[in-house]
Amino acid sequence: MLAARASTRNVQRIARSFATVVDSAGVKVAAVDSNRPTTSVTFLVKAGSRFETKAGVAHGLKNFAFKSTAKRSALGTVRETELYGGLLSANLSREHLALTAEFLRGDEQYFVDVLSSFLTSAKFTRHEFEEYVTPVMQGEIELSNADPALHALELAHALAFRNGLGSSIYATPHSHLTAEDIKAFAKSAFTKDNIAVVGTGIDQDSLARLVEQSLSKISTSSAFSSSPSSYFGGETRIQGHGGPQTVFIGFGSAGAPAPELAAISAHLSTTPSVKWSKSLSPIATALPEGTSVQTVYLPYSDASLFGLLVQGPTSASVKEAGKAAVTALKSASSLKGDDLKKAVAKAKFASASATESREGLVSLLGSKVLTGSASTLEATLSSLDGVSESSVSKAASALVGAKPTFVAVGDISSLPHADELGL
Amino acid sequence: MPLYGPLSFSFAPQVLASKTLSRWVKPFASWYAEQSGYRKYGLKYDDLLVEERDDVQRALGRLTPAEGYERAFRLKRASQASVLHAPLPKEQWTKISEDTRYLAPHVRDVEKEDSERAMWDTISVKRK
Repeated sequence: MLAARASTRNVQRIARSFATVVDSAGVKVAAVDSNRPTTSVTFLVKAGSRFETKAGVAHGLKNFAFKSTAKRSALGTVRETELYGGLLSANLSREHLALTAEFLRGDEQYFVDVLSSFLTSAKFTRHEFEEYVTPVMQGEIELSNADPALHALELAHALAFRNGLGSSIYATPHSHLTAEDIKAFAKSAFTKDNIAVVGTGIDQDSLARLVEQSLSKISTSSAFSSSPSSYFGGETRIQGHGGPQTVFIGFGSAGAPAPELAAISAHLSTTPSVKWSKSLSPIATALPEGTSVQTVYLPYSDASLFGLLVQGPTSASVKEAGKAAVTALKSASSLKGDDLKKAVAKAKFASASATESREGLVSLLGSKVLTGSASTLEATLSSLDGVSESSVSKAASALVGAKPTFVAVGDISSLPHADELGL
Repeated sequence: MPLYGPLSFSFAPQVLASKTLSRWVKPFASWYAEQSGYRKYGLKYDDLLVEERDDVQRALGRLTPAEGYERAFRLKRASQASVLHAPLPKEQWTKISEDTRYLAPHVRDVEKEDSERAMWDTISVKRK
């Protein structure tokens, strides 16, 4: 009852389109001006790890961002940005490389120039690769291996999708990557079809004009082709030290991500709505002390990975929590009534509140802008409205029917195997 | 920048730009380079750069592994020849075509970076 009321109110409130996409010299530009004191501009490039030609080249490209270009040196970029008081960041996902500048209103000319000069005239010098890029890459690789949850997710992607989406965001510690490899990858990635520009706190016309000026010389044709993803699944166990015992139980599906999975993820999520209380999720009641189960729902453009990340201090507790998680996941196909309404409302709130933050808005808009379609939150919310008992049951049984992706990181002699958890 | 030596001021670009000047100066310069004798020990001119300096050390780090190896080999061979108090056999002398400035461009780059850093450290900003 309460859930139903909350969900209808949500839809009525946010009945507006975020941004229309304009074509500015072949580059797609979208901007939202929500009267905030700062502006951000993101250049979203289809250069994620799924497109890489050599392992780790996308990771290298990300770390080459804001190094020397024909216009200014790496030091010049840093110092001048400091003088303007802005922030530059590069973020790599499996599908996109996002180059973001956040700054005060009025400084857009400089910051768009910094971002676009990386796309048009980056030098990719060997000494910068060795002196600045490689150490940071090594640090990030070590960090990803030290965090069992991150490590388990990387392994799970490799098992679930093998190539393409399966290739890791991080380079391997001993990859023979050179600045030349990265330069060649950048050359094939930085084309007009591959770039979308998303601005927040900036007027669309002025952003489109700046982009047109700065990116007019970039080549049009894209050399990229990625084969459509397919789901495989499998099991792997990796010895790990110093972190919590970790098990990831995942299921994937190829094809466009379904809203039913978001609802199931919200249903199983053990994050309580009120801090320090216990969630009403079917998993939460059966968890032993000290263990945690997180739902992981990762939608990609042509596949999605859904799973439960179980962490705990001992293998025995992880085994118990894992059993509870698998039981709950299997019974998700019989989700109905108020439970379903609650799950849909939770999923709606999650996707709506994600657009409140700048990163959430950019990631929602960006992927849509790249395909050229206008994007509204309404579309996402109404697709969640279409979730019914039968569609959830169908999606859940199709999900669980596939071969599971099982990853154990920690003390592998005592951590449970997939069949011991009832998979 | 030092006051004298290979890394100091040089008129070479101006001389090379002028046809008349380079026609007069070049024979003398070639004779001088030959007379200074480093080619007889199989060295290149850039092997003589003073390397006990931070900027040259950074420039040395930017050589490719092959360039770095060859440099070390030349220096070892030359010091062995020096121990023997005799130049190398003639076929091992550095040819004029091989006497390239493999290190100087890197040193100039490093110098440019250092001076840019100094510029940014001391800049006074006026916002328009």
